[in-house]
Amino acid sequence: MKMEGVTKIYRTGLVETRALRNFSLEVEEGEFVTITGPSGSGKTTFLNVAGLLDAFDEGKYWLDGLDVSRLTDREMSRIRNEKIGFIFQSFNLIPDLDVFDNVDVPLRYRRLAAKERRERIERAVAQVGLTSRLRHLPSQLSGGQQQRVAIARVLAGDPKLILADEPTGNLDSGMAREIMDLLEEINRAGATLVMVTHNPEYAARAHRRLHIADGRLVDLERITPLPLNRRTGEARQAAAPAG
Amino acid sequence: MLLYNLRLAWHSLRRYPMLSALIIAGIALGVGVATPAITTLHVLGQDPIPQRSSVLYYVRMDSWDPVAPHPSASGIPSQITYRDMREIMKSRIPVRQTASFPAALYIYPADRNVRPSRETVRLVFSDFFPMFDVPFRYGSGWDKAADAKPEAVVVISHALNARLFGGHDSVGRTIRIADRELRVVGVLAPWRPRIRFYDLLGNATREPESIFMPFNWIEPMEIHSAGTRDGWKAMEGNPTYLESLHASETVFLQMWVELPDPARARAYHDFLDAYVREQKRFGRFQRPLDNRVTPLLDLMAEWQIVGPYFKAIAAISILFLIVASLNLIGLFLGKFLARAPVVGIRRALGASRSAIFLQHLIECELVGLIGGGLGLLMSAGVLAVMNKGFERITHIEDLFQLDAVMVLAAVLLSLAAGAIAGIYPAWRICSLPPAQHLKNQ
Repeated sequence: MKMEGVTKIYRTGLVETRALRNFSLEVEEGEFVTITGPSGSGKTTFLNVAGLLDAFDEGKYWLDGLDVSRLTDREMSRIRNEKIGFIFQSFNLIPDLDVFDNVDVPLRYRRLAAKERRERIERAVAQVGLTSRLRHLPSQLSGGQQQRVAIARVLAGDPKLILADEPTGNLDSGMAREIMDLLEEINRAGATLVMVTHNPEYAARAHRRLHIADGRLVDLERITPLPLNRRTGEARQAAAPAG
Repeated sequence: MLLYNLRLAWHSLRRYPMLSALIIAGIALGVGVATPAITTLHVLGQDPIPQRSSVLYYVRMDSWDPVAPHPSASGIPSQITYRDMREIMKSRIPVRQTASFPAALYIYPADRNVRPSRETVRLVFSDFFPMFDVPFRYGSGWDKAADAKPEAVVVISHALNARLFGGHDSVGRTIRIADRELRVVGVLAPWRPRIRFYDLLGNATREPESIFMPFNWIEPMEIHSAGTRDGWKAMEGNPTYLESLHASETVFLQMWVELPDPARARAYHDFLDAYVREQKRFGRFQRPLDNRVTPLLDLMAEWQIVGPYFKAIAAISILFLIVASLNLIGLFLGKFLARAPVVGIRRALGASRSAIFLQHLIECELVGLIGGGLGLLMSAGVLAVMNKGFERITHIEDLFQLDAVMVLAAVLLSLAAGAIAGIYPAWRICSLPPAQHLKNQ
C-alpha cells in the first residue's frame, strides 16, 4: 500500500475540513502497522481511503500495484471483496443474518460455488471457535463473540490486507486480548494488518507504530524488525513517512 | 445471486412488517383497479373470430340522399337496400357471401299445450354458417338449392332445441313459424360469442338469434326487419309489400362477403364501383362514389365496438396505478435509508453499486409481485361484480374473465409498479458513498 500526498477534504456548506493533509505512507506486504492519534485526527478517514470506502481529493494511492484513482466502482468493489478485509470497532455484523450468513456475505459477492463457500465459512468459524454458534444471530452473541464473527468473515475471504478500526474498543480487556492474539496470528500467516487503536499496549505489539495528528502523519516508530519476505527470505525496508 | 437477493428481500419484508404491508396494499389497490379495466378492454377488443376475421369484409354503399350525407360518423349508410343486395349477390368474386337481417316471429310448438312464443329470427343465406364458423351440435346448415327455392328448413339454437325438443337431436322435426311448417336441418352447439360479430349494429354484445332461416323466405312470408331500418325517400302511392321491397331506398340489410386476399378485395371493390356507376345512369346513387369493403376488425374499430369510455376507464386506472406507485417512492426510500448502515457493510465487503441497486430493485419487485397477487384476487372480485351487472344485459354468465393474457398483464403491471416505486430509492441507496453509511452504524 503506497500513498503519496493524499489529501481528503470534507465539505459541509461553506466549511471545508481537511481530514487528511498531504498524507504519504508505504506499508509493505506482511507488515503489522498500528495507527494512533487523538479523536478527530483522521485515523478513520485514513482507513476509509485506504480501504477504498471513500474517495480522496489530491495525491496518489497505489494498492497492490494498482493506481486507485483510475479504478471504476466495480473494480474497487472487487478489490475490497478479494484483497481487503475490514474489522470495525462496532463489529458491523448484519443484525438479521445469523453467523453463517454474515460470514457468507463477502463470499456471495465473489460468486463462489455453494460448496466452496460452505467449506470456507465452516473453516473460518472454527478458527475463531464459534462452530457451535453458526445459526445464532448477532444479538444472541457477546461483544467478543461478535468481533470473532467479524474476524471469521475476514478469514473466510482470505484477504491480503486487513484494515482494523479499533477492533478492541468495545471489548473488555480479556476479550480484547483474545482478539489481538487472533489478529496477530492472522498477520503471522501472511496478511498485512493496519490497525487503528487507542491502546498503547496493543500499539506496541506492531512492527511499526504511526501517529496521526490533524490529518498528518507526524511520527513513526520502528518497534520490531519487518518480517522476512516470504518469497525471498530477505528482511524488507520500511518506507519513511513523507507527510 | 437472484435467489440470494430474493432471500434478502424476504428478510427485509419481515424486518419492517407494517411498512411492507402498507407498500403491498398500495400496489394491490393499484393492480386491483387497473386489471379489471384492462380486462374489460381486452375482452371487448379482442378478435372475436381470429381464425376467420382476416377474410370477412363488410359491404357498404352510399345510396343515400343526394341532398345531405348520411348522419352517421362515416357519412354513408351502415346497411344496404334489398334491391342492391339482389344485384351484388350475383358477383362471383367473393368465395362466400350473405346478406342478413333480424326479424321477430311467432313460433308455434307442436304441443298445443305450450304457448306460442315470439323469437328473434335471422334470415341468412347458406354461406352464413361456414363464413362465421357457426358450430353445430346436430345436422348442419342448408345448401344453395335451399337458398334459391327457398326450402322450408331452419336451424335452431341449442337453447331453443332444449326448450322445444328437450335437447334431443331434432333434425327432421318440424316447427311452425308464423304460417309455415319448417323442418329442422341443424341444431347449433352452445354458441355465445362475446361480440356478435356478424351484426355489429346497436348492442354488439347481444346473444345470437334462436332461429336461422333461408333469406329468401322474406318475400313469400313478407317478413319485416326487426332491426335498424334507415330511409331517406318516401315511396309514392300505396305500394304492396313486394313493390316496396324491390323499389325502396330503405337500407336494412347487412352484407358480408368472404374475400381470401387483398387482391380479391380490390376486385370486389371495383365491381361495386362499376355497379354504382351503372346505377347512376338510372338516376340512383347521386352522391359521390363511395363504396366500402371493410375488414371485420377495421369495422369494429371504426364503429368503436369497444366504446371510448372503456378506453378512458382503462387509461385512468393505469394512471391510478402509476400515481399509487409514485406515492410509494417515499415509503421505499424511508425503508431503504433506515438500513443504510447495512448497505455500508455490504459495500465494504465487496458489493458494487450495481449489486446494491439490483438487491433493492429485486426487493421492490418482490413487493410488487406480492401486491400484484393480492391485486389479482381483488380483480377477480371486481370482475365477478361486473359480470353480475353485465349478465342482465348480455345474458353471458362470465363475460369478463381473467385469462392467461390478463394474468400476465397483471404480473407485468405489478413489476412495473414495483419498478416505478423502487428505482429511485434503489438508486439513492446505492449512490451514497459506503463510508457515509458506515459512519451511521
